[in-house]
Amino acid sequence: MTRPTTADRARALLPHVVLLAVVLAAWTAVAASDLVSPSYLTPSPLEVWNAFVRANSDHPIGGGVDRIVRGEENYYLWEHLLASLQRIGLGLVFAVLVGIPLGLLMGVRAIGALLGPYVDFLRSIPPLAYIGFLVAWFGIYDTSKVWLLFLAAFPPIALATLNGVRGVRGDYLDAIRTLGAGRLSTVTQVVLPATLPDILSGLRVAVGFAWTTVVAAELVNGLPGIGGLAYLSGSQNKIALSVACIIVIGLTAIALDLLIRLAERRLAGWRGKD
Amino acid sequence: MTQHEVVVAGLEHEFRSRGGAVRALDRIDLTIAPGELVTLAGPSGCGKSTLLRILAGLTQPTTGTVHVGADPVTAPGADRGVVFQRPTLYPWLDVRANVEIGLKLRGVPKDERRAIAERQLEVVGLADAADRRPYELSGGMQQRAQIARVLANDPDIILMDEPFGALDALTREKLQAELLDLWRRTGKTILFITHSVDEAVYLGSRVLVMSPRPGRIVFDEPARFVRGGELVPTDEVRTLAEFTDLTTRVREAINH
Ligand SMILES: Nc1ncnc2c1ncn2[C@@H]1O[C@H](COP(=O)(O)OP(=O)(O)O)[C@@H](O)[C@H]1O
Ligand SMILES: [Mg+2]
Repeated sequence: MTRPTTADRARALLPHVVLLAVVLAAWTAVAASDLVSPSYLTPSPLEVWNAFVRANSDHPIGGGVDRIVRGEENYYLWEHLLASLQRIGLGLVFAVLVGIPLGLLMGVRAIGALLGPYVDFLRSIPPLAYIGFLVAWFGIYDTSKVWLLFLAAFPPIALATLNGVRGVRGDYLDAIRTLGAGRLSTVTQVVLPATLPDILSGLRVAVGFAWTTVVAAELVNGLPGIGGLAYLSGSQNKIALSVACIIVIGLTAIALDLLIRLAERRLAGWRGKD
Repeated sequence: MTQHEVVVAGLEHEFRSRGGAVRALDRIDLTIAPGELVTLAGPSGCGKSTLLRILAGLTQPTTGTVHVGADPVTAPGADRGVVFQRPTLYPWLDVRANVEIGLKLRGVPKDERRAIAERQLEVVGLADAADRRPYELSGGMQQRAQIARVLANDPDIILMDEPFGALDALTREKLQAELLDLWRRTGKTILFITHSVDEAVYLGSRVLVMSPRPGRIVFDEPARFVRGGELVPTDEVRTLAEFTDLTTRVREAINH
């Protein structure tokens, strides 16, 4: 097999570029036409771009007033994004800290049989169902949101870990025991590394889940927050800004997914080769 | 080296499952002296692996005992290394780290265990493959690496379960010769399981044959080929009349 040349890559990219151009052109055409009125409901790609730039800079408030404001709602758009990412980051850290040990524990048959139904139950609940209850318990600020993300993210991680543990080859365990490993080193030297590919798949599911959840959770007191900004701007008829937020949300989700896939390729490249 | 004999007394084993009980081993009494290379031949399914797993401490026998010296075997331990039929190298580690892992478990410092691993990889002819992952090696190389991993742990007793069974004839013969050299050099106690009569007679200083289920030891003879007080060189053993004769008798024992 020869390495793809730059020309090969350019040729492979071409259909994507064409499709994107067509989509943008169609969008521009719809925005320019009178198909939808009032026209602010259909911002053009350029208007969305301008809203995006404005939201990331200090700009005059407009409407004949001289005052300069910072981004949107006193935060730049990237700060809104960062606030959301921090929430899911925190929620995921707790989910990993609880989910992985729980999954490993559930690998012990008796414990798995005991706890399995509860984890299945938690997983089957749409996380947003918790929000009212969590707000009552933890208030409307970030604590309740981080709890929500934790609850959304830990079942997939625990169940993926469990799945991985159950799939560890018996002779891998036999081998490490005959090399002198006790219980703890069996877990750290074999069970965990053997399970890592499954943990990463679980993490990928969890991140996707947490991202949709955080955006939705920010409908209530979600500023700064990219989901909160998307909702607020829409409800204030700043459609261009709202669309900009939506695009940022989508692209961020794709970027997060790519990041974990990259980690999977680096850390779990051996999967399927043993 | 303080080595101990392995004593198996009144060993029986039965696997119980929903379909009923399978009697795998029947009254095995066996003493392996330090430094012996005992080969155990028998048809597949006769209980050879079961006996090996019991000696390793991986399976608890239904009745009977195993002792190494004065100590009863109740669990696996680093004093009894196992080379499994299917290589069990860890794909998330490179070959060097695989060989080091037993030493790592015992807290041997990094430099020291690296040196030991390199030496053992040298012994099995894999020095160049240290940085590769197991799945990048051929079957024969994987088996060599697995042997290096056990050797690095320096066990008194090495239990080998048909380690060369899946290899092509040329590789198998090469590894057999290497194993013999290694044994003659180190004087380890080795139990080597095989379903090949030729392999059993060629390698063993003592050959055992196990009967079909339930497994029983039905043949037990020394197999040292000595000429003028010296061991016959490994590459000449197969040409000896005694070799052919013992091979015939082992084959008869397996076929009753
Ligand atoms: N874990 C097990 N559960 C039930 N039966 C088993 C188990 N392991 C082995 N056996 C049975 O015990 C007998 C001996 O098996 P084994 O020791 O693997 O034979 P060998 O290694 O000589 O081919 C076989 O009939 C096999 O089916
Ligand atoms: Mg077997």
